[in-house]
Amino acid sequence: MGATLLFGIFAFLIVACSLMVVLAKDSVVSAVFLVADLFVMACIYALLGADFVAAIQVLVYAGAILILFLFVIMLLNLDIVAARTNAGPLEIGMFIVVLIGFGILVVNLLLGERIELLPPGDSGLSITGKGNSYDLGLVLFSKYLWPFEMASVLILLAMVAGVLIAKRGKKKQP
Amino acid sequence: MGLNAMVSEVEVFQIVAMFIKILVVVMVCMTVPPLMVWVERRAPALIQRRKGPNRVGVFQFRIWGLMQAIADAVKLIFKEEIVPAVANRRFFHIAPMIGVIPALLTASAIPFGPDIELFGYVVPLTVINVDAGFLFILAISSLGVYGITLAGWASNNKYSLLGSLRSSAQMVSYEIPLGLSLIPLVMIFSTFKLNDIVVSQNNILGWGVFLAPISFFLFAISMFAETNRAPFDLAEADSELVAGFHTEFGSTKFALFFFAEYINMFVLSCLCATLFFGGWQIPFVSHDTVVGILQNITEDYASLLAALVGMLTLIVKAAFFMWFFVWVRWTLPRFRYDQLMGLGWKFLLPLGLFNIAFTALIIAWRTF
Repeated sequence: MGATLLFGIFAFLIVACSLMVVLAKDSVVSAVFLVADLFVMACIYALLGADFVAAIQVLVYAGAILILFLFVIMLLNLDIVAARTNAGPLEIGMFIVVLIGFGILVVNLLLGERIELLPPGDSGLSITGKGNSYDLGLVLFSKYLWPFEMASVLILLAMVAGVLIAKRGKKKQP
Repeated sequence: MGLNAMVSEVEVFQIVAMFIKILVVVMVCMTVPPLMVWVERRAPALIQRRKGPNRVGVFQFRIWGLMQAIADAVKLIFKEEIVPAVANRRFFHIAPMIGVIPALLTASAIPFGPDIELFGYVVPLTVINVDAGFLFILAISSLGVYGITLAGWASNNKYSLLGSLRSSAQMVSYEIPLGLSLIPLVMIFSTFKLNDIVVSQNNILGWGVFLAPISFFLFAISMFAETNRAPFDLAEADSELVAGFHTEFGSTKFALFFFAEYINMFVLSCLCATLFFGGWQIPFVSHDTVVGILQNITEDYASLLAALVGMLTLIVKAAFFMWFFVWVRWTLPRFRYDQLMGLGWKFLLPLGLFNIAFTALIIAWRTF
């Protein structure tokens, strides 16, 4: 009962914040609402008992990546209001695609099978009983070891590429 | 259906206990900044061999000038609130709140005492007992940077903007060594839960600082950078940036930033004591011994009194680190900005990674 009510509040907040991200005229306002959006998403994870994922979501997305977004907006002093033009064919096309996708989602929700929400609780989704983080670690380092390691190598590659691009630009200028 | 049918007795008890715990944590956190104002003025006086504010007292009792804290608070509250004409009003009003709310939220995950039994129920002495433990503290405290960033930007002042950009880059950079320094502790204690970590540090040789000394070194340095304290107080370097991100803020808004800074310091001090120095456990005396001694005095309230002793122990330990913050501030000169970034990325980050690999090797060697 309480969990369902909270889920309703969070879901409403997510939709409201997402709308504000798109509709806000000021880009800083947009970025701040994106932070709120990601934070409420973490609240839903926490509601499902996935503490670890919720904490990482806030730590990585809201705490680190979005601050860089805000950084760039402030440094470049972006003014989206001036750049905004009337909707062209591209915008209208995108709007139609989004509308179709949303329609499919609504039809699916109304006609399709009910998805059972995972039962929230103190121990959350723990199978071993030692807590959600323990389970996650166990699964990540046994069943999903290869995908996990591949992902880490991929991130390392991106980092090396980033350093390389930054260095190459510097060498050309004596 | 009445309210009684919907809510059971256990739930009522849990909700009441939760409210009391929240009240205790908020009250303690709100007492820290005014006290620290006084300490922050008396300590440099002690270090620099002068007197400091020692006059304001109650009637003829000076009590070491302790009432200076209240005088300062009254002065701040009654100041005129000025909003610059060119400021972004919306964010100018919101920013101090964004600064102070995460600071108070983080305090909720600190375990401030052993579990107590009350009316047949076991009450853990932490407001929220999350599985992710200190990750929760790191996550919420990483949101505090938005208060500073938005404050600097909304002021529409170049000094404020420079201060806030410096501060946000610094805090994002030092979150990495801070996070990396805690991974060896997770590996050693094999849990994220703060209270479990405290319980497993029942022996002084089992304290985190002895098991993972490099982690403590990294944590202690990152702690100063995360709270924008000297020698890393470049966000408010008064010789270069007037007062940094809070240049344009006065009155209660300034007080909120002030509160946020000191509460952040207090929470990090508590976290440091919890992770590395046995939290609420008294050194050389196990929790069972404390309960045993107290049982000789009062049979019924032994566990409650033991919890109170635990709380006081944690506060004493945290107070030492608060003193450490002030001590370092009045001892070391400020770093240059490139030195700060170089230290973070070129020294602390590799050291943190080395520390993880080193700890993993030792654990593997001892296990296999």
